[in-house]
Amino acid sequence: MTPALVCERLVKRYGDKTVVDRVGFHIDEGEAYGLLGPNGAGKTTTISMLVGLLRPDEGSVRVGGIDVDEDPVAAKRLIGYVPQEIALYPELTARENLRYFGRLYGLPRRELTSRIGEVLDLVGLTGRGDDKVDTYSGGMKRRTNIAVALLHRPRLLILDEPTVGVDPQSRVAILDRVEALVGEGMSLLYTSHYMEEVERVCTRVGIIDQGRVVADGTKRELVAELGGTDRVELTLDGDVTAASEKLRAVEGVSEAVVTGSSSIRLLVAGGRHLLPALLAAVGDAGAVTGVEVVEPDLEAAFLHLTGSTLRD
Amino acid sequence: MRALLVVAGHELRSRLRDGTAPLIALVAPILLATLFGLALGGDDDPPLKATIGVVDLDGGEFPASVQREALNTDELKGVLTFRQYPDEAAARSAVDGGETGAALVFPAGFSEGVGAGRGGKVSVLESPQSPLAGVVARSMVDRISALVEARTLAVRASLEAGVPADRVQLFVEENGAAGPALSLVGDPVAGGRVDLAVHYGAGMAVMFAFFVVGTTARSLLVERQNSTLDRMRAAPVPLWTALVGKSAVGFGLALFSMCATWLSSVLVFGASWGDPLGVFPLLLAHVFAATAIVMLVASRAKTDAQADGYTLGVAFVFAFLGGSIVPVYNLPEWLRGISLITPNGWVSAGLSELAGTGAGPSAVLVPIAVVTGIGVVAGTVALLGFRKGRFA
Ligand SMILES: Nc1ncnc2c1ncn2[C@@H]1O[C@H](COP(=O)(O)OP(=O)(O)O)[C@@H](O)[C@H]1O
Ligand SMILES: [Mg+2]
Repeated sequence: MTPALVCERLVKRYGDKTVVDRVGFHIDEGEAYGLLGPNGAGKTTTISMLVGLLRPDEGSVRVGGIDVDEDPVAAKRLIGYVPQEIALYPELTARENLRYFGRLYGLPRRELTSRIGEVLDLVGLTGRGDDKVDTYSGGMKRRTNIAVALLHRPRLLILDEPTVGVDPQSRVAILDRVEALVGEGMSLLYTSHYMEEVERVCTRVGIIDQGRVVADGTKRELVAELGGTDRVELTLDGDVTAASEKLRAVEGVSEAVVTGSSSIRLLVAGGRHLLPALLAAVGDAGAVTGVEVVEPDLEAAFLHLTGSTLRD
Repeated sequence: MRALLVVAGHELRSRLRDGTAPLIALVAPILLATLFGLALGGDDDPPLKATIGVVDLDGGEFPASVQREALNTDELKGVLTFRQYPDEAAARSAVDGGETGAALVFPAGFSEGVGAGRGGKVSVLESPQSPLAGVVARSMVDRISALVEARTLAVRASLEAGVPADRVQLFVEENGAAGPALSLVGDPVAGGRVDLAVHYGAGMAVMFAFFVVGTTARSLLVERQNSTLDRMRAAPVPLWTALVGKSAVGFGLALFSMCATWLSSVLVFGASWGDPLGVFPLLLAHVFAATAIVMLVASRAKTDAQADGYTLGVAFVFAFLGGSIVPVYNLPEWLRGISLITPNGWVSAGLSELAGTGAGPSAVLVPIAVVTGIGVVAGTVALLGFRKGRFA
């Protein structure tokens, strides 16, 4: 079967800054793929090239086997694109927004009316469809933002950080809907800097940092690369910078980064056994107030691959 | 095509919904054109009253006949008054003091020089405070110059043909080369004095066309900031759909605005802008150019506020240079040439031709072509920028 999306060696430069650097990955039909990376990693720029908004300096994109550069209109018909920003007319109602974009996607009037009902239902906004978007909460706006992209039943849904600025309840609701859509066979590209979201929704993950996809695989594959390394989160009162220096010198510690004014994240081979050594190493740099040993996860993989954390 | 209509329909509804469109497209230009027209023009009043000073250092027949003829022309009867001054300095201070609008200076020996085929030159003193008198005076001088030239040529030809010098003047006059001495009938000030109701009506229409298109440019920038432009560009339609669909609405509204101002000028003042078959294509060309220019400057803007600023700047500078606010003949000489880089200048010139001389559509072919050309150039640059990702 043709993959839902294939991109190869995508490059985008602004001036002499290479913002996207030879990015390539593929998404199989019905697969949910996550691009995980911190702010400024190049996720949005990559997506802009995938959906035909931005012409890559190098590289190619195929959506459902169609080259985006050669036949952008046909390729775009297969994509449901949800911009990172709320791309709605605030002075219009959700229904009016949906009608306008639906018409732009070429849906016939009658079909459009029923589809609008369906997608409003899908995102749980049936009762509020005739209210102005202006009056919505952040979560409702996000959900409407997604609804617009679903009108034309796209084969590939592209969500760019769909939960930014959303209350926890709405976030869960959004993730539920997205999972349901994937369950129905829709292919998905999901970008986020939230590890939990990508871990939950996506079967395969690309880790992107400073414009490069540094690793790509299932969560299991990525974590396996850590080779039995645990993630340890330390909290302490004192000089975190000095403490992190000392911790890095401990045998078995591969990374030690400051993640807050009183927190340090470590990658430690055989984390549990090394705890006493870690506490000793901190010494008079501060008083340790908490220690948490976490099963190897994407956050640990990210730290392992890039030497930095997802959220700064 | 269908997508273009969808975008245009949406844009039109938004423009009508936000209420500024009717204000900028209808109320403001019509109101201003009417106020200017009432204050400065109007059809019932004599179009102008001008006092022109005369310094007759010649004392011959020519200056006297010029004044006689001028006062007898239908156009200037009851409008023009001559006032005599002994010398140029006296005339200069009268002009500067506003006592007289402009002055003609006939140099000593003028009549004799003309009679002998040596030609002669009448000079004009003007004041920026009374442009109209200046225009009348200059147009008289133009006529005099033409006459002098004709007579000079005739005298020279006669001399060459062997008519004795002392008989040549008589000979020329007898043979009619001098023509009816001086005729100002018809268009004493064509190209300069269009009824001011027309001038300001057209000026406002031309200027507001920019503002009307500007509202569309602004909405394009707002949509870029809202990311709704991204959404439109991500739809399965060509990338230029959003730009062209929105521009078309700006174009249509601006054309509507100009025609409405035109109509109001006709209804309120009974002023004629000239042959509609000439006026309409001229307005059409202007709207096209204004749309392209505004889209071009807006494509260089980053925010809607910046787009507003750019539009405002371009509209006012062009309006000023192109004679939409101050008549072109009021500008210093070097600026008059610049007026012809603006569509406004060409439209003003074209309308002067149509309204002032009653010329037919063929008289404005050049202005129409030039204005359209300005639009094509600006539009091409705007579209190229768009391809490079402006508005993206
Ligand atoms: N139009 C642009 N001009 C210059 N730099 C840009 C432009 N767009 C994005 N960038 C830069 O490219 C990098 C990646 O941005 P982006 O793709 O938005 O990252 P992400 O979506 O992962 O947060 C950032 O450093 C950003 O500043
Ligand atoms: Mg982003």
